[in-house]
Amino acid sequence: MKTRARFGVTFRVLAVLIVLGIVVFPLYWMFVTALTSDEQLFSGSVQFLPDFSQMDVFATALAQGDVLRWLLNSFLVAVGTMVVALVLGVPLAYALSRFSFAGKAVIGLALLFTQMLPEALLVVPIFAIFRETGLLNSIHGLILADAAFVLPVVSLILKGAIDGIPREVDEAARVDGARPPAVLLRILVPLIAPSIAAAAVIAFFTAWNEYVFAVTFIYDKELQPASVGVAGYIGEQDTSIQTIMAVALIFTLPAVAFYLFAQKYVISGMTAGAVKG
Amino acid sequence: MSHAGVRRARFRRSPLGSKWTPYVFLVPAMAYVAIFQLVPLIQEVYLSFTRTNLLNPSHNVWVGFDNYAAVFASESFRQTLLITLVYVVACVVGSVGVGLLVALLLNSRFPGRGIARALVTIPWAAPGIAVAVIAVWMLNAQYGVITHLLTGLSIPVGQGGVLDNPDLALPAILITTVWQLFPFTAVVLLSALQSVPDELIEAANVDGAGKWWTFRVVTWPVIRPTVGLIAVLMSIWSIRRFELIWLMTRGGPLGTTRTLVIDLYSQAFDSKQLGTAAAIGMVGIVISLIIVVGGRLVASAAERNS
Repeated sequence: MKTRARFGVTFRVLAVLIVLGIVVFPLYWMFVTALTSDEQLFSGSVQFLPDFSQMDVFATALAQGDVLRWLLNSFLVAVGTMVVALVLGVPLAYALSRFSFAGKAVIGLALLFTQMLPEALLVVPIFAIFRETGLLNSIHGLILADAAFVLPVVSLILKGAIDGIPREVDEAARVDGARPPAVLLRILVPLIAPSIAAAAVIAFFTAWNEYVFAVTFIYDKELQPASVGVAGYIGEQDTSIQTIMAVALIFTLPAVAFYLFAQKYVISGMTAGAVKG
Repeated sequence: MSHAGVRRARFRRSPLGSKWTPYVFLVPAMAYVAIFQLVPLIQEVYLSFTRTNLLNPSHNVWVGFDNYAAVFASESFRQTLLITLVYVVACVVGSVGVGLLVALLLNSRFPGRGIARALVTIPWAAPGIAVAVIAVWMLNAQYGVITHLLTGLSIPVGQGGVLDNPDLALPAILITTVWQLFPFTAVVLLSALQSVPDELIEAANVDGAGKWWTFRVVTWPVIRPTVGLIAVLMSIWSIRRFELIWLMTRGGPLGTTRTLVIDLYSQAFDSKQLGTAAAIGMVGIVISLIIVVGGRLVASAAERNS
């Protein structure tokens, strides 16, 4: 019996290691490729370990051309999207969670329905709207488009979070004379802070990763975000593969780091959004 | 006291403010969603009934259902529909199947479980653009590590590599998609598994039930609604997925990876036919709606039966 149990644990650990290997390998491979010398790369044999003497590839990648500006543009778009989505999403979540009103069911369905709309379809009419209003080729235009796509997700996550706070908490504050905006900002927002952080991470990195709008709306190289820059490497011949992998890794690591950091809350937020949404 | 004064007094005392209070909170967000989602959607519906060129988008010729008729009559669109179907079903089965196995694994007891649960989410956190870039490199015809592996296993990939091979391109995109999706399904299913009462599993064990039987009788009924929900979510996400496929193959080789969304994008931006593109988009939205409504019906039928 005991040996069987020990065998079970060994087997499980082995299976977990295989899963983690599959999960991590592509990112590891980005790192190894970035740190491969040209001779090794074109020698025909595959090198599985990084060559740490090539570490300056990251410095070269950042120094080269537009990479820092791409990252700055992506950062601005992501912060803007996060702010717009939260400023609009927190009150919407509050209304959906705490009030009953005409049209509530319709709004819930409408938010769910937005999950079915492909960006690649709406990009044409939004392009037309932006051309009319002078929002084309601007960071704030891109923010407005990105935030509209992430707002429903953010609202559903935050609604789930507010649903989890007992109503007695805000009713107590109401008895003390607080008005709804004060209840939301002073009582509920601090209580759901972890979910707000999760929603912020999701909004930030949705915009950080967004490609279709960015590639269609931004035609000025100065304003290009990193997603468009990195995607532009595919099929291009002038940049070395080591540089491409280094830049792609620099673009990837903040997303992975933040998701791991905020993971507990992102997951409970996503689960609430997915399950209740 | 005047009538208005009475009303104001009541307003102050009512527990949640006036009946207009919720609208103050929701109107900004909903107006915003309406401008950037609903209005463009309505414009697309209109475009789908017109002949419109990308280069002159304000010149619309009303053609009724011609775009839809033309789309459904075309052989290549039927291929697109089939590819979309294969892609979506495989994404759902793959991500839910692998996700469930991994969730069961991560729900069992082993040393280092916390770290494993954290690390497994990495693919889902990685930007799709970066995933496409590394996938294209790993599948590179000359230097790709997977190309080397496949050649080593004497699987012929052909001159242009996996992504240029009509038999292998779609499976390669599928595996990449499932790699990116399964962490999400695994984590959601893991939290569902944690709500299965331990006492029930112990009781089943005491009764001498085997692992499979315990899963079927105790675990499955608890997690089934979650499985249904994420299956619906995975399918509507997979119908609209664009950048991963576009960056890996642009729908090629020979149209073997051309899903609905890829087709509509190249109709709009390569062929410049906005009307045709819009009609294809509407077909995609209708398919998504059918899946969601169907999912709801199946879920409520299952609830009534249990």
